[in-house]
Amino acid sequence: MKAHNIMFTGVGGSGVLTAARVLATAALIEGQKVRMGEIHGMAQRGGIVNCAIRIGESVYGPIIPIGEADLLLSIEPVEALRQANLISPNGTIIVGEYKITPTAVMLGRSEYPTVDEIFDELSKFARVITFNAERMARQAGGIMTMNTVLVGAAFDLDLIPMKESSIIEAIKDVLPARYHEMNITAFKKGMTVQKMIITD
Amino acid sequence: MSSMDIAEILTKEAPGKRYLLLGNEAIARGAIEAGLELASTYPGTPASEIGDSLFQAAKVGKFYFEYCTNEKVAMEVAGAAAIANARSLVAMKHVGLNVASDAFMTLNYIGVRGGMIIVTADDPGCWSSQNEQDNRIFALLGDTIMLEPADPQEAKDMTVAAFELSEKLEQPILLRVTTRVSHTRADVELGPIRPPRNNPNFERDPFRFVTIPAVARKRHPILVEKIKQATAISEKSEWNQIHGKGKIGIITSGVSFNYVIEVIRALKVKAAVLKIGMSYPLPKKKIQKFIAQKEKVVIVEELKPYLEYHARAYAQEAGIVTPILGKSQEFFSEIGELTPHKVTEGIARALDREIPVHLTEINEKLSEPMSELPPRPPILCSGCPHRATFYEVATATGRKGIYPTDIGCYTLAIQPPLELADLLLCMGSSIGTACGLTAILDKPIIGAIGDSTFFHSGITGLVNAVYNKHPVKIIVVDNETTAMTGHQPHPGTGITGMGVEGKPISIEEVARGIGVPFIKTIDPLQVKESIRTIREAVAFDGPAVVISKSPCALIERARKRREKEPLVPYQVDPEVCQGCRVCTDKLGCAATIWEGEHASIDLALCSGCGVCAQICPYKAIREVEPNESA
Repeated sequence: MKAHNIMFTGVGGSGVLTAARVLATAALIEGQKVRMGEIHGMAQRGGIVNCAIRIGESVYGPIIPIGEADLLLSIEPVEALRQANLISPNGTIIVGEYKITPTAVMLGRSEYPTVDEIFDELSKFARVITFNAERMARQAGGIMTMNTVLVGAAFDLDLIPMKESSIIEAIKDVLPARYHEMNITAFKKGMTVQKMIITD
Repeated sequence: MSSMDIAEILTKEAPGKRYLLLGNEAIARGAIEAGLELASTYPGTPASEIGDSLFQAAKVGKFYFEYCTNEKVAMEVAGAAAIANARSLVAMKHVGLNVASDAFMTLNYIGVRGGMIIVTADDPGCWSSQNEQDNRIFALLGDTIMLEPADPQEAKDMTVAAFELSEKLEQPILLRVTTRVSHTRADVELGPIRPPRNNPNFERDPFRFVTIPAVARKRHPILVEKIKQATAISEKSEWNQIHGKGKIGIITSGVSFNYVIEVIRALKVKAAVLKIGMSYPLPKKKIQKFIAQKEKVVIVEELKPYLEYHARAYAQEAGIVTPILGKSQEFFSEIGELTPHKVTEGIARALDREIPVHLTEINEKLSEPMSELPPRPPILCSGCPHRATFYEVATATGRKGIYPTDIGCYTLAIQPPLELADLLLCMGSSIGTACGLTAILDKPIIGAIGDSTFFHSGITGLVNAVYNKHPVKIIVVDNETTAMTGHQPHPGTGITGMGVEGKPISIEEVARGIGVPFIKTIDPLQVKESIRTIREAVAFDGPAVVISKSPCALIERARKRREKEPLVPYQVDPEVCQGCRVCTDKLGCAATIWEGEHASIDLALCSGCGVCAQICPYKAIREVEPNESA
């Protein structure tokens, strides 16, 4: 069986590692072989955070080879572009529209491309799905659920090879009880994405 | 059971069960399965979660755990316990072994009685380190047996096996992991837990354990003999294994093995892969036989050409002429971590194969936009008291000093707009380098060091400053935790590795005891007073210590939430804001955002520290009133 590779990217403190762990746990619940590559430490302080989830018997290492990600999930446009070389030409990029402005841009030392420019660039690499994940997350209970909204959207688009029940079980397994409802709501909100997306 | 409950997973008797564990957690579990009695550490990425998970497990487990002041002390603590017949583990990041090396280099001479594992977590790629040294060289230097797992399952299994091997040979064992093993999560199958032996016994043997020259001379040949025995074990070890068949040979170790397997499959190369899991002493005969049977051998390893040098020497010794291809011919670099991409390119070039077209195509697609993306380095959190301290130091000194820094979150003051970091070598170096600079320069030298780092290795530097009369100005940025590595306790918190609360050791009293003539404590969130005190310290004729004390913003936020204390954020009055940008250009808090001509504050990020309000020249920033919905 070919490996299924999911790349999660975002900004430190936004819950990327936790959301990725939900997916890896769901894979384990289904008895699949799973590898999840994280980077800790310096990366967490508002810097770039990446997490690779690799599922399948043929998987050995924690790094997704260039051009072999089936799915790239990013809460942030420019961070999606930074990882775009990982996506397979047959893969899908799901990206939130919400911009998190780096300090260098705030200080006028660097420029943030327009969101349209970013999406144009991204679409050179693969199919791009973008929507207002931030609004859905706020409706679900907080911006920190934006990652779970993205997972819901990917699930809705049949891009996560797992059962809905496994993902919900994994949410309960990984997150403290007080965040269960909020994240399950966020997951289900994400699952309405097909009804409302502006796609490529 | 929630998988968050690491203490339960690490200590439960559930052989055959599978859990999603980090490599580091798997090592902790392995130690517990082997009947761990004592563990020690000083936190450091990528090793931190070994200690952190043992810290959690110690509350319910049957072993003793401590956070030590530094890695040398941790090595001594675990070493002594093992000499007294306990099974012990000490964990540190790669550069921690430099700190511990004095103890390490002689511990091997005297050996241990209980099994002892020294975990070194190397960081190829410098994800969170000041260098990317290859600690396999330490095994060679210190004649210490080394095992090198490739993934979390192996990390656990090797830890269990290492305790047995350590006891068999009465030698400590290095377990070398790298960031990509430590921080990979994978399904790990648990094994049975062997209850701790709990038979401590310090059998006196001064002519083994007291390393006076006569003893050292006697012990060195014993060590060499032990390594000979270990070599025989390495020749037969299940950890040195050949995977697959073919006329092409690949020798690899650690995480690189995984890339090799994936890459040869993708490139359709038929090769035999010799995976080295026991990287010191190496299985010389096995390597010679392997090379002799191949048409070509490619060596795939991160950092130093350690396996390659050995393979070449072994081949030469046996008169084997098989070409050995690796870093010498620049198929691979000794810089940075390996990736599937680098391994693909290296193997393809070494074997004259085509590099898959799609790799080249994708990289061409990417070059232009990628080079122009705004950088996003890690930054100090919103409301971080370090930001206030560095703003105050910059203001008080007019940036006319030199600013040695140290290892911790506050190193991030290197980033704009603070840009207050001039020199950094290692843990504790701020004070020693400040001494050196004051000795030859006539300008203010202002060093910054964190609380945990101060205890780790700042104190000796401070003694030196007082003793040699260096007028250094040391700002101890005391946020009451070891923040960068994940909020571990330290002597200044008084909380121990067993979770016992004791009397915190006061940095102020330590400085007083050393005889520092100027010691003052400031609250960095009080800007004017802090600037005044820092000015006084800089003007003072002699060594001065300013302790800038304010809890880590993340911990303070969590405390407020837990104790239901209101967090009152600040807001900008757009009528009053003149758009002067002082808040952003001088302080640069992540919560300050710009909408057109005026600053505004992201209420979700604001921690309510009020520092921006104090520095706003127009008094445009004020607390959000309770009844105001911003």
